[in-house]
Amino acid sequence: MKISRRHFISASASFAGVMMLGAPSVIGQAKPRVVVIGGGAGGATAAKYIAKDSGGAIAVTLIEPNAKYQTCFHSNLYLGGFRDYPSIVHDYAMLKSKYGIDVVSESATRIDRDKKEVSLSGGKTVAYDRLVVSPGIDLKYDSVPGWSQAAEEVMPHAWKPGAQTLLLKKRLDAVENGGVIVMIAPPNPYRCPPGPYERVSMMAHALKVAGKDRCKIFVIDPKETFSKQGLFQQGWEKYYKGMVEWLGPKVHDGVKSVDPASGTVVTGFETYKNAALVNVIPAQMAGAIARDAMLANASGFCAIDPTNMKSAVDSNIYILGDASIAGDMPKSAFSANSQAKVAALMIRGELAGARTFDARYSNTCWSLIETDDCVKVGGAYEAKDGKITASSTFVSKTDETPDVRKQSQAENMAWYAGISADIFT
Amino acid sequence: MLALLLVTSHVQSVSAGDRELGQYLSSECVTCHQITGKAIEGVPPIVGWPEDQFEAVMKSYKEKERDNPVMQNIAGRLKAEDIAALATYFRELR
Repeated sequence: MKISRRHFISASASFAGVMMLGAPSVIGQAKPRVVVIGGGAGGATAAKYIAKDSGGAIAVTLIEPNAKYQTCFHSNLYLGGFRDYPSIVHDYAMLKSKYGIDVVSESATRIDRDKKEVSLSGGKTVAYDRLVVSPGIDLKYDSVPGWSQAAEEVMPHAWKPGAQTLLLKKRLDAVENGGVIVMIAPPNPYRCPPGPYERVSMMAHALKVAGKDRCKIFVIDPKETFSKQGLFQQGWEKYYKGMVEWLGPKVHDGVKSVDPASGTVVTGFETYKNAALVNVIPAQMAGAIARDAMLANASGFCAIDPTNMKSAVDSNIYILGDASIAGDMPKSAFSANSQAKVAALMIRGELAGARTFDARYSNTCWSLIETDDCVKVGGAYEAKDGKITASSTFVSKTDETPDVRKQSQAENMAWYAGISADIFT
Repeated sequence: MLALLLVTSHVQSVSAGDRELGQYLSSECVTCHQITGKAIEGVPPIVGWPEDQFEAVMKSYKEKERDNPVMQNIAGRLKAEDIAALATYFRELR
């Protein structure tokens, strides 16, 4: 049954347009079904590219509970006052109207891999021929002693976007001059490796602009080193002297506990009391829907085949973005978008007979340190040695001219416009 | 959409580059460059260029004659047929 359907689609692929016009009843019976869980940079991109490039030959359903999507990327620029909130919010209207994607505003509650069905929060199920799982991260609330899901209202993480982003901004703006901010940075692997340090920069910028330059931001980091460290630390010294202090694990000896009620953070080295703001960015894992379906390994993330982004444990399922173990690629929107295009091609190859090519991946992460001073890191990647492996990488240099940094910020803003158009329009 | 597919498939016969390859590779470009050809400060439009000009610019990034590391990184792994495919694809999008 499956072979004959694929054969039929394959033989007819070049006439897909004619079929759309001339034989809808045949298509209605034969159309393969792709279900996508998660409407972020991975899932929405995959849904769009499968629908767009298959010319209607594949039925695409996108399951995303939020009607609006607020990007985590550039939410730091909102914190710093370089963007307004509406500019980082998008919707799925064009994915429906332009590409015919069935956008279902419900949560996916369960994947039945044997039946090839996804259960929805509204009680229905959706059947798939191929499933794309792109749920992003879940937070490990128990990774910081004393912190909890309830405590996120007091000590926000703002590492999943939306209400938390708005809360962190509100709390930052309320910090008085001389106030202490403590950021607890996450252990590897986590979403957006340079993100915590760009956030520190944007917090310091917002405080400085507001005349609160006696504030101090302590970064309690479980990692010995971090992304673009030399560039960030140079920038903090140059622009925010005395306002930012980064402490590695040898210095602070670990976060022993936090007390949300009193704004206390206890480390092995020092206790911070009455902090004006504590930003807890905890350890992370793949979204629950992926873990519950046994798609994740002991690391909490999902192993993939680097040649196509297929789950290592289920050949009918593709895993994208932050939930995947993508080798040398960081967990970023750019990476998820890049992986989605590979998966979309491979899915069209499997279900609609499209010609496929070797997987190529790429990523660039821009980080704003201060007005017109932006740095970047990136790479090109391919399947090699059983994982996604960097074939080339680059990072901004500490001795770049102001013009180069300004140009990087223009690129950063243009990238946002580009990727958001690429995902949502 | 349908019209675009039919037109470009017709044009393919007189074009130098492999259009399907170009379409796949182009998905990397449109993460930053607007597929509509719209100009945005910081990332130039790349739609509708003459193929020889497109190829010359990509080659200059590949050989690191031009500075931008993002573009050097993208162009660095492109073979001549990849660049030709992209040049054809983006010219036809005009």
